[in-house]
Amino acid sequence: MAFKRAVAAVLLALAFGANAAAQSLQRLTVTQLVLSADTSAPMVENPFHLIVTATVKERVKRLDNIVLPILTELELLGDEQQTSTDRSGTHYRETITVVAHHTGNITIAPVTLDAVNARTGRAERYSSNSLNLNVGGTALAPASPGPHLWSNLAIAAGFLAVSLLSMVLVARRWRAPPAPLPEPEPAPLPVARPHDPRSDLRDALATLRVHRTRETAVAVRLLVRRMVGAGDAETLEDVLQRPQAANPVMRELLRALERASFTHDGDLESAIAAALVALERAAS
Amino acid sequence: MSASPQSLVRALERTIVGQREVVDGLLLGLIAGGHVLLEGPPGLAKTLACRALAAALDGEFKRVQFTPDLLPSDIVGTRIFDQRESAFSTVKGPIFANVVLADEINRAPAKVQSALLEAMQERQVTIGLQTHALPDPFIVMATMNPLDSEGTYALPIAQMDRFLLKIDVGYPSREEELTILERFAVSETQPAHSVAALADVHQWRVQSHSVHLDEKVKRYIVEIVAVTREREAEYIDFGASPRATLALANLSRARALLQERDYVVPDDVRAVAPAALRHRIGFNFRVNAEKPGAGAGAIIERLIAAVPVP
Repeated sequence: MAFKRAVAAVLLALAFGANAAAQSLQRLTVTQLVLSADTSAPMVENPFHLIVTATVKERVKRLDNIVLPILTELELLGDEQQTSTDRSGTHYRETITVVAHHTGNITIAPVTLDAVNARTGRAERYSSNSLNLNVGGTALAPASPGPHLWSNLAIAAGFLAVSLLSMVLVARRWRAPPAPLPEPEPAPLPVARPHDPRSDLRDALATLRVHRTRETAVAVRLLVRRMVGAGDAETLEDVLQRPQAANPVMRELLRALERASFTHDGDLESAIAAALVALERAAS
Repeated sequence: MSASPQSLVRALERTIVGQREVVDGLLLGLIAGGHVLLEGPPGLAKTLACRALAAALDGEFKRVQFTPDLLPSDIVGTRIFDQRESAFSTVKGPIFANVVLADEINRAPAKVQSALLEAMQERQVTIGLQTHALPDPFIVMATMNPLDSEGTYALPIAQMDRFLLKIDVGYPSREEELTILERFAVSETQPAHSVAALADVHQWRVQSHSVHLDEKVKRYIVEIVAVTREREAEYIDFGASPRATLALANLSRARALLQERDYVVPDDVRAVAPAALRHRIGFNFRVNAEKPGAGAGAIIERLIAAVPVP
């Protein structure tokens, strides 16, 4: 499961990154780039959708350089892309079906789109919003099979009951001042399983073993940088100053991934081999 | 056996206490094939650093003290009539050296500065009707004193752009000053001689050109230069030119070589960016008039920090 999730997660981020590296940037006027979910509180083991929406003024067949974030906390179940054009330009919609296996808060990093700004002629990286999701502890009960008529009747009855109750409450409100409401019982917090960062490293290790490419190394480097809390403007020297990077094993891993991300093609295989050794140490 | 750039660094460190940015800057300029401008108050080992580099290189070193009465021919040379031969002969100026120290370049008038800067750019000078190529390698290290600015001729930005990098020389720390006291109080330290040959410099330059610059790093460089034209408009009249982009790339490659790597990482770019940009950005009067947070160095740091690292 972990391996499958790792491959799915990192590959999702890489599929487009590799594409981006291989192609020259498109000349675009980006008017919209949004990351959303069909729920802000998904339930554990209950599939839900992440939706990427992008709009550009130009009419193009596809958007080449959209890069999705690494979804290490989620398992990828499906991915569907639609691109349509009309007079106003091109509309891109990607629906990613995912499932969470653990409760707790998840932050999904922004989706990025690299393009040459058609107005200024400069290469730019457009970034969407990030997304915060709170994965709840109980999965929704599956809907009981039955005739549509009965379920529709049940919905109608429920709606009627709620309407009647509301009417009674409104009528009472006109007659007497409302009694002070009792303090609500604090809702039980979802039990979050402590997250082991080594499991992410193991996933990354499994992925890098299978996909020994620069793009995978870059994605793993991004993951490890996030694990040590590195900011966007921090170089390796800054990251190595962080207390989270004080561990020699982690420092070796960061250096190895830096080499694998930026070295020349002739050294890439050896750099990835060194990164794998460092990953094995860090994940053990 | 050819010497490594690190051996030159070690030789300079034996002569100069601290001033790591100066030592690195001189080496970067040498490897990248550019000229270096050093600015700082007197007594901070600017001249000593240049002398030490020339001595360690086994190259020819010339020093020119720039003064208001200096003439272009004092720099490039002139033609003198030889009475015995009854003909003009060419006397080459001090610019015909591998390492030229132009001390207090802002004290000479514009026409002298122009003569020097033209030679720096073209790497040749014309005396009379003849054009003479300058030695190779040829590196000019010019110093400027920010104090005593009366009677000086400030270099225009167009001229400053000819220098590959500009280093702000600061005061040493207490510990470094103590070491200076111990090292120089008794006798003057002699710079190390002939640590590397001129042929080694050629080899480093060839190696530097083959240092790999990844596409992501190239974009990082372009983005850093672009933000100098877009941000901090309150303090900046005009941003860095495309020559700054080339300078950043060349200096990053040279730094990678100095760090014994054959590929550039974002750290290289960020380390050399202040020296490559500070003399190429047109700061306005507010930079020095307002505090805190102003100051060219602080603004450049903010600009670099605004660009995400690839």
